[in-house]
Amino acid sequence: MSREVVEIVAGERPLREVNAEIRTAVAEGKHVELREPLSRHNLCVALEGGGSVAIDGSAGYYCGGLNNGGIIEVRRNAGWGVGEAMAAGRIIVDGYAGMAAGASMRGGTLHIKGDAGPRCGVAFKGGDVVVEGSVGFLSGFMAHAGRIVVLGDTADAIGDSLWGGEVWVAGTIGSLGTDTEVVEPEDEELASLETLLGDLGIADRPQDWKKIVSAQGLWHFHARNARAWLMI
Amino acid sequence: MCGIAGRILREPGPIGGDLVQLMQAQRHRGADSTGFALYGRPREEGYVLRLFHPDRYRLDATLEALVGAVRDQGGDLTGDPTWDDTGQAHVFIRAEIAEPATEPATWVDAVESIDGLQMVSMGRSLEVVKDVGDAATVGAKHHLEEFVGTHGLGHARLATESEVSPVASHPFWARPFPDVTIVHNGQLTNHHLWRRRLELAGYRFDTDNDSEVIAVWLSDRMASGMTLEEALDTSIRDFDGVFTYLCSTAEAIGLAKDRLAIKPIVAIEHEGEVCMATEEQALRTLYREEGEIVNYDGPGIARVWWAPTFVEVA
Repeated sequence: MSREVVEIVAGERPLREVNAEIRTAVAEGKHVELREPLSRHNLCVALEGGGSVAIDGSAGYYCGGLNNGGIIEVRRNAGWGVGEAMAAGRIIVDGYAGMAAGASMRGGTLHIKGDAGPRCGVAFKGGDVVVEGSVGFLSGFMAHAGRIVVLGDTADAIGDSLWGGEVWVAGTIGSLGTDTEVVEPEDEELASLETLLGDLGIADRPQDWKKIVSAQGLWHFHARNARAWLMI
Repeated sequence: MCGIAGRILREPGPIGGDLVQLMQAQRHRGADSTGFALYGRPREEGYVLRLFHPDRYRLDATLEALVGAVRDQGGDLTGDPTWDDTGQAHVFIRAEIAEPATEPATWVDAVESIDGLQMVSMGRSLEVVKDVGDAATVGAKHHLEEFVGTHGLGHARLATESEVSPVASHPFWARPFPDVTIVHNGQLTNHHLWRRRLELAGYRFDTDNDSEVIAVWLSDRMASGMTLEEALDTSIRDFDGVFTYLCSTAEAIGLAKDRLAIKPIVAIEHEGEVCMATEEQALRTLYREEGEIVNYDGPGIARVWWAPTFVEVA
C-alpha cells in the first residue's frame, strides 16, 4: 500500500503553522517530506495517527517531543531532547542525537543510528531507545522503567541512580553509575531484545550483552549509604 | 538562559554583520541586552578604547578629562573621538590613542578614575559594543554592519540576577589585559572566591558578574605562562557551577564547558571559516544546508580555534 506523500517546507515560516500542517497530514495517514528544517526546534511535536514524516536535514531541540503514534525520521542529526516524553510511535535519527535523547519517554521506540550525547534516556519511564553507536555520560540517569539499548560503548556513570528499568550495553562500559549492578540476562529477555533489533532492521546484532539494573540500595534511605546519596 | 556565538572568518570580512545575524537568530534566549566583541585591523602600537558614560549631558567635560588623563600617562588621542548620536541618556565613546608611557593597569585606572566613565574594552584590535535591546537594535544603533574584522563574539542576555543596563551585558573585557574578552552562558558558584583572590592580586572589577571573573582569571593564567588551551582546561577543574563560555584573544577563540555538561554549544567548520553558537538553528542562518555541525555536548571540553592574521584583501 503506497501512502499519499505531501511536501511541507519549514524554512522561516511560523512553527505553529508548519507543525499544524504536519499533524493534520500524519493524522490522515499521509507521509510528509519536510524540506528546509534548518535545525529548528520543536518540529513534529505531539503527532497522532498512522502517518509518517521524513525530516530532510537536521532538527533542533525536542524534535518529536510528546509523540503519540507518528513515525518520524530525521535524515541528519537531532538536537537536545529528541523524543522527549514520547508515549507511542517511532523516531529514527540517522545521525547523531544530542543530549537527553528520549528523556522521560513513556512508550514507543527511539532508534538512533549514530551516537547519542550525555544523559540519553534520562528519567526514562517506558518504551525502548536503541543507539547503534555510543552514548555519553550519565546515560540512563534516574530511569524508572523501559529499556535503553546501546550497541556501542558508553562514557562514564551509566545508569546513575537507576530506580528501575534496564540499560543494555554490547560494547565497553566507561564506568557504572551509583547504585547499579550488571546482571546475567534471562533467555527470554535476550529473545525479546533480538526481536526488537530485528524489527528495527539491524542486521549485525551483537550477542554478548551486559544488562545493567538498579542495585536498589537507594530505594530507601539508610544512614550507612549517606556517601552514595551525596554522590548524586 | 543566555545565548552566545563566536565567528572566525577566513580573511577580514563582515564580522559585525555575521554576528548580528547569529545573535538575532538567538534573540529568544534573551533580548534585555546584546553585546559583541569584534576584532578589526590590529595596530602596531597604540590602542582603541570603547567607553561608556551614563550621562550624555556631561559628554564635553568627560571628553576633556579623557584627553587630559591619557596625556598625563604619556599618550595622546590620535584622532577625534566619536560617539553615538542617538540622544539617549547614556553615551558610548570610541577613541584611538597612541601608546601611553605607563603599563595598561596604570593608565586604564587613570582613565576610569574620570567620574562615571567605564572602559568596556581596550586593545590593539578589540572593540566591544554592548547595549540594551536585541541584536538588530544594537547592530543598527552602532553601525555594526560596516565593521570589518577577522573574528568576534556575540551574547544575548536574559537578566536573571542583576539589573538591565547598557553595560551589564557581555562580552566582558579582561581588565586591564588588551584584546581579551569572554561571553558566557551559565552560572559559576565559586566566583566570589576567585574574585577575592584576584582582587588581592591587584585586579579591579566593574561589576558583580561571575563572567567578568572568568575573563580576568584566564588572562591572569595566560600572563603567568599558560597557553589559552591550558588556561581553559584548568578552568574546568577550578570553576564550580554550570558553564559554557567562549574566550577570544587577538589570535584565537577558545571554548570551555563544565563537568556537568548542562549548557549547549555547537560549531561548524566550513571552507576555512568557523562558527559557534548556543543553538544549531542560528548557524543555519549562515549555512542553510552545507557543512557538518558538531554538538560539543561534553562533559569537560576545552578547545581552541585560530583566527587568521589580518591581511588587507585587495
